[in-house]
Amino acid sequence: MASIMISSSEEFSGKSSLCMGLGKIFKENGLKIGYMKPVGNILIDVDGSLTDEDSEGIKNLLGIDDPAKYVTPIHLTDSLIDDALRGVEKDLEMRLSDAYSEISKDKDVVFVEGTGWIGGGSLYGLSDPDVASKLGIPMLLVARFNSVSAVDRILCDVRIIGDKAKLSGIVLNEVPQSMEDRVTEIIVPFLERKGIKVFGVIYEDHTLRSVFISEIVEDLHAEVLVAPDKLDQLVEHYLVGAMEASSAIKYIRRQPNSAVITGGDRADIQMAAIDSKVKCLILSGNMRPSGAVLASAEEAGIPVILARGDTMNTIERVEKLIGHAHIKQQVKIDRITELLKNHLDIPAIAEEMGVKLKE
Amino acid sequence: MLEKMFNPDSVAVIGASRKEGKVGRAVLDNLMQNSKLKIIPINPKSDEILGLPCYHNILDVPESIKVDLAIIVVPAKLVPGSIDECGQAGVKNIIIISAGFKEAGIEGARLERECIALCEKYGIKLIGPNCLGIIDTASGLNASFAPNMAYKGNIAMMSQSGAICSVTLDWAERIGVGFSKFISLGNKAVLSENDFLQLFENDSSTAVIAAYLEGVKEGPEFIKIAERVSHSKPIVVVKSGRTAVGSKAVSSHTGTLAGSDAAYNAAFKQSGVLRADSIEEMLDYSRAFSVCPLPKGRNIAIITNAGGLGILAADACYYAGLTIASFEEKTVERLREKLPPAANFYDPVDVLGDASPDLYEYALDVVQDDANVDGILLLVSPQSTTDVPGIAEKIATTIKGSKKPILCNFAGGTRIALGEDILSKHGIPNYSSAERAVASMDALCTYYKIKNHKRGDPEEMPADREYARSFIESASKNKRRVHGLESMDILKAYDIPVVDARVAKDLHEAVEAAEDMGYPVVMKILSPDISHKSDVGGIRLNLKHADEVERAYNSMMSDVRHYMPDAIITGVQLQKMMSGGKEVIIGMDRDPQFGPLLMFGLGGTYVEFLKDVSFAVAPVTREEAKHMVSSIKTYPLIAGVRGEAASDIDSIIQTLLKVSQLVTDFPEILEFEINPLMVMPEGQGCVAMDIRFTLNLNE
Repeated sequence: MASIMISSSEEFSGKSSLCMGLGKIFKENGLKIGYMKPVGNILIDVDGSLTDEDSEGIKNLLGIDDPAKYVTPIHLTDSLIDDALRGVEKDLEMRLSDAYSEISKDKDVVFVEGTGWIGGGSLYGLSDPDVASKLGIPMLLVARFNSVSAVDRILCDVRIIGDKAKLSGIVLNEVPQSMEDRVTEIIVPFLERKGIKVFGVIYEDHTLRSVFISEIVEDLHAEVLVAPDKLDQLVEHYLVGAMEASSAIKYIRRQPNSAVITGGDRADIQMAAIDSKVKCLILSGNMRPSGAVLASAEEAGIPVILARGDTMNTIERVEKLIGHAHIKQQVKIDRITELLKNHLDIPAIAEEMGVKLKE
Repeated sequence: MLEKMFNPDSVAVIGASRKEGKVGRAVLDNLMQNSKLKIIPINPKSDEILGLPCYHNILDVPESIKVDLAIIVVPAKLVPGSIDECGQAGVKNIIIISAGFKEAGIEGARLERECIALCEKYGIKLIGPNCLGIIDTASGLNASFAPNMAYKGNIAMMSQSGAICSVTLDWAERIGVGFSKFISLGNKAVLSENDFLQLFENDSSTAVIAAYLEGVKEGPEFIKIAERVSHSKPIVVVKSGRTAVGSKAVSSHTGTLAGSDAAYNAAFKQSGVLRADSIEEMLDYSRAFSVCPLPKGRNIAIITNAGGLGILAADACYYAGLTIASFEEKTVERLREKLPPAANFYDPVDVLGDASPDLYEYALDVVQDDANVDGILLLVSPQSTTDVPGIAEKIATTIKGSKKPILCNFAGGTRIALGEDILSKHGIPNYSSAERAVASMDALCTYYKIKNHKRGDPEEMPADREYARSFIESASKNKRRVHGLESMDILKAYDIPVVDARVAKDLHEAVEAAEDMGYPVVMKILSPDISHKSDVGGIRLNLKHADEVERAYNSMMSDVRHYMPDAIITGVQLQKMMSGGKEVIIGMDRDPQFGPLLMFGLGGTYVEFLKDVSFAVAPVTREEAKHMVSSIKTYPLIAGVRGEAASDIDSIIQTLLKVSQLVTDFPEILEFEINPLMVMPEGQGCVAMDIRFTLNLNE
């Protein structure tokens, strides 16, 4: 049985995506896959028991039927932290190793997903390197790369890992396309010179950054006023229409794949957005637009959704959604797998783990 | 076209009613004013209405009766069914008065689309829905539910607002203005202003076209049609929604994106449409056109019985760009012969407070004979000895027979009312102030020029369209919407001179490029995310040697990263530092109604604040391009002030024409700006220093 811990420098760097994509690819190779996220930090209630949202999603996507209590044996709750701070012994290590041995049974490969960022959990002794060393498995680090400062972070992370665990290598994620030359010609060779294996460079991807209109509707508890049949489209950006219509047209034209957030009483902005064929119109403040505007939106096939919150609140929620969208839809899953296959040296990762893949 | 819509032999009213207060009754009443008209009420619950045989359905009307026009007043949801039946019955003209269509919301918009489809299917011409109806005074048709019937006249009026139709009709009745045709446009589902402009063009009873519009449906088509029509008949338009708040109301009311007011101004100007600011002004202008011959120039004579009024009128003339005429010698002599010695014999002519009707008439006769006078303003103040009705009566005949326009301002209230009535009886407008009379005189003068001016076709500018096409295609492929400095090459395809520039990816390349180009140089940041480079420290001027280039490069990167940490920086551009020129801007915004709206203005930091810019809808003619340059207030700064050398204005005009061609050739370009275009002294051309444009990649 081979195993690897997938960790990251920062939150939202792509750990779940990597677990899911690699899991899928290894599974296609006929291997029996196991998955764990030992410490759950995004807690949800599934059928009456707490579990982690990421792990629940990946479990389903990879068709894993191990019980949730083994996939995510530890929940990052307030009491867990308080106990750790007060020095109350919780036997976390035991729960971790018991769960791991349950998951590992009859598996060829187990992917262990870290929690938040690499150092998170140090206070209760379960940072990612702690977990890796306790389970005796190597680590794979995924790092978002948007500027050279990512190199600093990576070098720092390598120190944190130190002697605790073995770093198999890293994946650079969400690299801006414009930095392609710099990254491949300068950054990767630099890291390799430092003895850090780079398994691949994954570039920013529009599909993955975007969010379905239906997700926005769900998150905002919004009412769909127009085009309920067009919510399966992806939105990549959002724009806030608070300026004069003449300026709004310019902004919207520059990014028409956007959702435009504006007040229900701003008919001018609404029409500017409809005219520029934006992806959807989000009206804040629970103010219904005029019938004529709705009619135009319907003719253009642009969903109009009515959010209850005020503009500021709506912006905050949408901002959180875009870029941090959870991977639930098949389009995104397929896209991730495609990206990994094209940009990662999968055989090298397999080799590091001691797994043989069929060609 | 539309002959039977406005002059039908038989009209069916679908939804006719005998109940007072119902629209179906009001329409019947109005139709019945014309005894020659065959009126066919349709109502499933009646066999007779107001003594007329009523059918339950239009399909029940005997074949022997050919229905020329159907007026539909039933609730919106029943309208498509009614149109379908009309179609089957062979009715070709329909007016839908009923509301509840696109203006009301999604369901209404669906109904409206259904109506449009049915009209297409049966080849039906449709006015409305959501309108007041139409009136044709020549045929005696009142197919509306308006409470007033229009007087006969030669003004054709159309209005996008039913309420403004009512306002205008009511007002017109009070001041005695007549109309040839009166059309409430409603939602313009099928027929719109463009169709009616063409109708009025060929309508012998129409001499003047007036319109209240909230928007136009097909901008470029409107320009084409209006440009042609304005050569034969004056078109006066009130276009509302000029301001941000106004256009918001238009959007909310009609579900359309109101185009910019600058675009309307430009389109109206280019197509010879006279813009009025209010309904009052529209009626003022229309009445002047309705009765007056056109002045051949802008030299105006003022005849007054009060010095004060004359001065006010003279000031108003000045502001309107009208000239106070210099009389021929014989005019002054003839005035001297009969006017009292204390009178003023020069323009403004003061006939004095006690001037008799005869004296007014004499002065008017003399002045209108003067070859230097193109138009006359006749002012009357009600002084104690003034015979207001006498003057009105006396001059009315002269005015009607004059070959020059004479506009009256009987100023006052109670004491001039009688005079005003007399003028009105003769069909002569009275303007309540000198300013209103002057504004209308200005409209007459402007229209004389429009009528006699041939716009000509925009010339085709040579260009390497293949190159530009491939450039845009590759941008589309890379999903690049917003372009800046790095895309300057597109200008070369249109032979627009571009500053000598190099792109450098790093400091090393930057220094190398500068050394190669020769100093001094300008360094600009290259980033698709940064539009206002100078705001984030992304421009460094006048770098004279390698050290300066290095310092500028390093401090620029530091600045830019500080202000915009997330911006993607692809490098820097080095340009040859230009001096001795003037900066101007040439831009384009694609207007939702009219398409490419070209903009010209003086460059520099204050341009956004001063808003001293001119506009025109592309493609522009050379004359329009010239006018764009010369019409900004700061034009003297380019033309050369106080001994300063003139800039190469020809090269600006040439560049405007090229940009006009570029944005006409490629509708994908949504916005475009050369800023600055450095204009060198006369004969030395101009160079584009920076650009920015946005492409539409939706398709």
